[in-house]
Amino acid sequence: MSTQDKFGRYKTFVLVALPIVVILAPLGYSLYEFVFAREAPTDAPFLEYPADVEGGCVRDTEYMRFHHWELLREVRDESVRDGVRGGITLSGCRDCHVSRDRFCNRCHEAVSLQPDCFGCHYYPSDAESGDGGGAHGAEEVSTAWTGGTS
Amino acid sequence: MDRRDFLKTGGLFLVGAPTVYGLLAVAAPATGDRTGIGIHRWGMVIDLRRCPEDCTACLDACRHENNVALHGDPRWDIHWIRKVKIRAKHDEHAPERAVPLLCNHCDHPPCAQVCPVQATYKRADGIVIVDHHRCIGCRYCLIACPYNARYFNYKENEDWPNKKYPKRSHGVAESCHFCAHRLDVGDPPACMEACRGVRAGALTVGDLNDPDSEISRLIAGNSVKRLRDDLGTEPKVYYIGL
Repeated sequence: MSTQDKFGRYKTFVLVALPIVVILAPLGYSLYEFVFAREAPTDAPFLEYPADVEGGCVRDTEYMRFHHWELLREVRDESVRDGVRGGITLSGCRDCHVSRDRFCNRCHEAVSLQPDCFGCHYYPSDAESGDGGGAHGAEEVSTAWTGGTS
Repeated sequence: MDRRDFLKTGGLFLVGAPTVYGLLAVAAPATGDRTGIGIHRWGMVIDLRRCPEDCTACLDACRHENNVALHGDPRWDIHWIRKVKIRAKHDEHAPERAVPLLCNHCDHPPCAQVCPVQATYKRADGIVIVDHHRCIGCRYCLIACPYNARYFNYKENEDWPNKKYPKRSHGVAESCHFCAHRLDVGDPPACMEACRGVRAGALTVGDLNDPDSEISRLIAGNSVKRLRDDLGTEPKVYYIGL
């Protein structure tokens, strides 16, 4: 059975429409997405800046944005293994970046990261930051990250 | 420069460079310890004559300071310092006596020797400490410790009384670390502070390297015993009146 028999007089139409539907349309859509839709999605997880504090952050914004975990890992090893205390600490971060929701989780959630810092280190989220560490706050913190990390 | 001069100059450099380097090293010895914690050597004296039978001040203070989990079930409860009742074996009429037990911070810690990831290790100042970030929860250290001073987090701890100090997540081993976070900033450990607070004064933590420290004088002036001294672990917790 030849192609002529199968599609009859629609042969030309099929030969043109099929590739368009199957190949070109998805390709075009993804190209469009790639070129245009990447521009500033409205729900981008952009961080607010903390209130202006004397002296600013311990490093500049660019460094902190892309390397803060390396810095934290470094000071962690220093304080835990060498006993150097009192430099950069997580609670020091908390002085300006007051809420875990607004300063940590917003990015971490956007990129599907679940760092397990807060299972053990106290860093209140918005809901708890008011009470300054009551028993209620403790419960919420302790169960916040246990799902994926333990 | 002829051949003879070349060889002379070369030889001078060959001998001179290491000599200068060696002299510099002698003049300013590289300690390899940039933190300075190596100058201390922490130890503890427990004066059982002054330890009241039913007092739990140190236990409570430790639990509060370090967020030590108490689930209410002996399978999961964690004690960094605990009190056990002991009696002399040779005399069944001997009175029972409550003795505080805690990590002995051995100079040759079996727990650190068996740790496959170096999460448990001995700091330069003699404190045996767990890096909970690194612990994989294999529990070798629990088996290795001859003092049963190590505990494992079988469950997540729901209580968090001291927010300034982290708690431990499910799946890591832990034990007393002489409140290293307090010693590092110059404060006494919580148990010692509490013991002084109830005017018992049985616990003394101090610097064994310093011959004038309170702990050194206590050890020098009393008959002290260490637990399982025969094992060669060289524990740094000394008991008076055991």
